[in-house]
Amino acid sequence: MAAVGRVAGGAVTAGAGRSARRTGLLLALPALVIFALLFVAPLFTLVANSFRTQTGAFTLGNYARFLGDPFYRDVLWNTLKVAGLTTLGCLLVGYPFALYLRGRSPRVRNWLALLLLSPLLISMVIRAYGWLVVLGPNGPVASVIKWFGLTPPQLLYNDTAVLIGMVHVMLAYMVLPLMGSLDRIDPTLVPAAKGLGAPGWTCFWRITLPLSAPGMLAGAMIVFSLTASSFVTPAILGGPKVKLMPYFVYTQATTTLDWPYAAAIGFVLVVVTTGLLLGYSRLLRRGKGEVVFQ
Amino acid sequence: MSRTGRLTRVLGGVFAALVGAFLIAPVAVTVASSLTETSYVTFPPQGITLRWYAEVLRKPEFLSSFAVSAGVAVAAAAISAVVGLAGGLAIHRYRFPGRAALETVLSSAFAVPTIVLGIGLLQWFAQMGLASSPFTLLLAHLVLTVPYAVRLVLAGLAGLDRSAEKAAAGLGAPPFLVFWHVTLPAVRGALIGGAFFAFITSFDDLTVALFVVTTDLQTLPVRIFNYMQYDYDPTVTAIGTLMVLFALVAVVVIERFVGVAKLFGADEEHKGKE
Repeated sequence: MAAVGRVAGGAVTAGAGRSARRTGLLLALPALVIFALLFVAPLFTLVANSFRTQTGAFTLGNYARFLGDPFYRDVLWNTLKVAGLTTLGCLLVGYPFALYLRGRSPRVRNWLALLLLSPLLISMVIRAYGWLVVLGPNGPVASVIKWFGLTPPQLLYNDTAVLIGMVHVMLAYMVLPLMGSLDRIDPTLVPAAKGLGAPGWTCFWRITLPLSAPGMLAGAMIVFSLTASSFVTPAILGGPKVKLMPYFVYTQATTTLDWPYAAAIGFVLVVVTTGLLLGYSRLLRRGKGEVVFQ
Repeated sequence: MSRTGRLTRVLGGVFAALVGAFLIAPVAVTVASSLTETSYVTFPPQGITLRWYAEVLRKPEFLSSFAVSAGVAVAAAAISAVVGLAGGLAIHRYRFPGRAALETVLSSAFAVPTIVLGIGLLQWFAQMGLASSPFTLLLAHLVLTVPYAVRLVLAGLAGLDRSAEKAAAGLGAPPFLVFWHVTLPAVRGALIGGAFFAFITSFDDLTVALFVVTTDLQTLPVRIFNYMQYDYDPTVTAIGTLMVLFALVAVVVIERFVGVAKLFGADEEHKGKE
């Protein structure tokens, strides 16, 4: 994203002249072709199809159907709810964890960061399957509950299961920007405030927390939009009972075979998630090197 | 240290340990329960046996799915590295028509939900009359992997001092040798890391594959996903353990050459593969 632009912006020195232009184009050609044919074209097809009936005539009916049907409004609302709760969960677990990491040696930090990123590098299916075992009827959670002589509740195929699985994957996306934000805080501020007699809690509320707001916001937006659009983890841990938009994109496309409708749901999903991300990168550009929120 | 200070420290340590346990729980439980002697998945495992690993080898459909996945992933890794190197060099060093468009498209590729990409490709391939094959799957995976490769190459190039190239050229080295001895070593880590990441992205992908594959052509994640709906025996935990070991090797390589945190842009904006 901006990283690409930033790096490129300052470094174009050799690229003058006609032959240089041709060399550049030639080098970029494979990537250009791949993305024109396999990214831009499919997305255009998708948008075009979302305005069609099954027979191909123009219609706004797919969107009208989505927004008019209480069932699908419920799906949209539940998607936003689960994404919001996941974001909150990541913040509640991630903030103290980022604070903890801040005080550790680089070695410990590296190890813990790798641990944090490990869920992203392990197959999504296997990771979700692992939670299926952990929360399943013969899993460790159920055995602990049974050990206390209680009947374990149904832990799977509900919002809570999806929430646990999603916080697990998304935690890294929250903690990394938070760590960046915390690292940029002037390390002399808190000792200075303490020297002037401020108690620890006041230092936290008045200095650390507000100065780390950009990181929190960045993390929150990424976690929200990635959660709203993720399919694998919710499909495995929630199943059909947990009504989320990506799941209906999938079933409409492969089971009901209503491609135009699937396209419309997909497009609404894109609007919801990319809208947020655009806002996020805007904010990031504005916040470069300075504090956005005072 | 004051008493409250020590208390905070201890509480912090306990909290971090709990988060660590939470992070490794699904993998640890999967690995442990793959050893159970029972015919259903249970944790803690009862007894120790390697029977379920033997069971994996006795299921030809899993082996053929593994072959499909591994083949596509190797191709995706190789192509991403080459296309990523060329694209990264082009963006970093040249002005050419389409440069801004390429940058925009590469960055928005991180932002478009994978599921939307999957259904878009499904409808586009159908419109083009392209039948499902390992080739269409490879094409689909390139959209997921090339942006990361370009990003890592750009990061590698940003760290290269151009005066080294100029010095080599000034001393009479032809452009190819400059590229081979100066430019390429600077991005070698990025290329190796990018290729490995492309491999695991392709190998693990379920979301896009679900739309592109058919019942006759199932990648390993699709096979596991379908198997899970009907069977609850520990075979899947054995396959999962093997895949975790596989990922572990990839992580060690990526960490060695580029640093895992860099992939996800530890300090910059980033998007994932979920």
